[in-house]
Amino acid sequence: MNEKKLKRTLLIIGAIVMAFVCLFPFAWMIIISLTKNATFLGSPYVHFELTLNNYRTVVSDPTLHFLAYFKNSVIIATMVTLVTVSISAMGAYAVSRIRFRGRLMVPIFVLGVSMFPQISLVGYLFKFIEKLGWINTYKALFFPYVAWTMPLALWILLSYFSQLPKDLDEAALMDGASRIQALYKVVLPLSAPALFSTALLVFIAAFNEFMFALLFTTDYRARTVPVGIALFQGVHGEVPWGNIMAASTISTIPLVVLALIFQRYVVSGLTAGALKGE
Amino acid sequence: MGKIEYREEKFAYGMLSPMLLFVIAFIIIPVLGTLWISLHRDVTFIPTHPFVGLRNYAMILRQGEFWRALLVTVSFSLVSVTLETLIGLTFALILNEEIRGRGIMRAIVLIPWAVPTIISARTWQVMYNYSYGLFNWVLEHVGLGAVNWFGTPLSAFFAVVFADVWKTAPFMTLLLLAGLQAIPSDTYEAAIIDGAGMFQRFWHVTLPLLKPVLIVAITLRTIDALRVFDIIYVLTGGGPGGATTSISLLAFNYYNLGDYGMGSAISILTFLTVLSFTVVYLKVGRFQEGLK
Repeated sequence: MNEKKLKRTLLIIGAIVMAFVCLFPFAWMIIISLTKNATFLGSPYVHFELTLNNYRTVVSDPTLHFLAYFKNSVIIATMVTLVTVSISAMGAYAVSRIRFRGRLMVPIFVLGVSMFPQISLVGYLFKFIEKLGWINTYKALFFPYVAWTMPLALWILLSYFSQLPKDLDEAALMDGASRIQALYKVVLPLSAPALFSTALLVFIAAFNEFMFALLFTTDYRARTVPVGIALFQGVHGEVPWGNIMAASTISTIPLVVLALIFQRYVVSGLTAGALKGE
Repeated sequence: MGKIEYREEKFAYGMLSPMLLFVIAFIIIPVLGTLWISLHRDVTFIPTHPFVGLRNYAMILRQGEFWRALLVTVSFSLVSVTLETLIGLTFALILNEEIRGRGIMRAIVLIPWAVPTIISARTWQVMYNYSYGLFNWVLEHVGLGAVNWFGTPLSAFFAVVFADVWKTAPFMTLLLLAGLQAIPSDTYEAAIIDGAGMFQRFWHVTLPLLKPVLIVAITLRTIDALRVFDIIYVLTGGGPGGATTSISLLAFNYYNLGDYGMGSAISILTFLTVLSFTVVYLKVGRFQEGLK
């Protein structure tokens, strides 16, 4: 069959191109992080020389504060994940299980909020956080991040909770369990996969956030990895690409590994969050 | 309404309240606050902030710089989302086929998604470098000559678009793949029996059935693209000469200068631009249906 052959050929070519396109910038980041001189492509006299020095510098040079940024990012993203997931699980439970006035408005309201441009908050938010004296503290990022990641979390959990048969927790209610018990003993254990994928997506979103972090932090006390890497300056004025790419690699590898190990959860979370209406 | 129902209702509001509190305190109030600031002349270092009504808006709408930023933002969204859709659809069609190594391919396509935007922007920045970047090295070796990527408005625009498409095409791919997998295989079998070729099947079976997912995916990505900030801030800083300044970045620049009145007004205009697309999205998506 001629068409089958054509299709196979197209598929193989497509797959190779696709793998290449997806991988090369990631690979280039790692290559630059491992070279002694990042400008090696630019001059016939400079050659690629393998070195781990960039990693050593990034981790050990105290003036770069990379480890502090990394620590800040991990702590903030973890706290945000815990709080966002618990709060939105409660909200999603109420919306999916209890009949109350305005119930159908909640998801619309939260989804609408998720479309707000970040820039439309910062004019006021910056003044507010400055007034509270929160600049350069975890609080300055924690509170806005919880609010900012809430719509995504609520959306995924809501789509999952509404699929769980209501008979399950109604049976528990009949047996004298309270609503809280029904949530903790019936719904949450059954929703472990959805909770996990929500947590994963919230963590990654909080880890990657840039605009708030750029505005609400000015030094290593609360500055996060994305801001650190965006504003990375060399001591001598030139852009220290080797160091930047080493810091980038260190920060990216855990995220990529997480995403690949838990691929199924990432995919179900992303699609549940977006394709609810179908 | 019975007593139990009333109690249940109160309980439901109790469970919702932490969530709503966060959203109201850190999203709704800030937006309203920004709207309030936009009605004032509010510049840092000037102690009084007089109410000026819509004067900031009038000034912005009279300036070319806002319209230019709006044009940049809209064309960025249009070009970027179009390319993403085409690439995402191609990738999704490939991943939907029974080929060897499909599991690995699905993992690979997730990588750009998992790389933080700022980090991918930095990586693309070094690849675009005029004298030692990967792209110019390749272009010179195939005899096309180096491109001063960040030097001209058009090349800077496409530099940003390419980097953005790389980062966001996986999301599109995943959504469209989920849509493709929801198409029952007997529809294809019926089409094959009817003698439809590969391209005919795509055009007459796959595409119409994928349309709802396509519309949602495109709208979602458009809303996101209209808010673009991070990638431009890092890659070009809005240059050369404002040629890649998005509306979000323009507002940010005013904040940076300490002009909160103007910055807030542009922020609110950004909000309104995105809002108009959001309304369309909520209409298209028909989101409450699953809950009823």
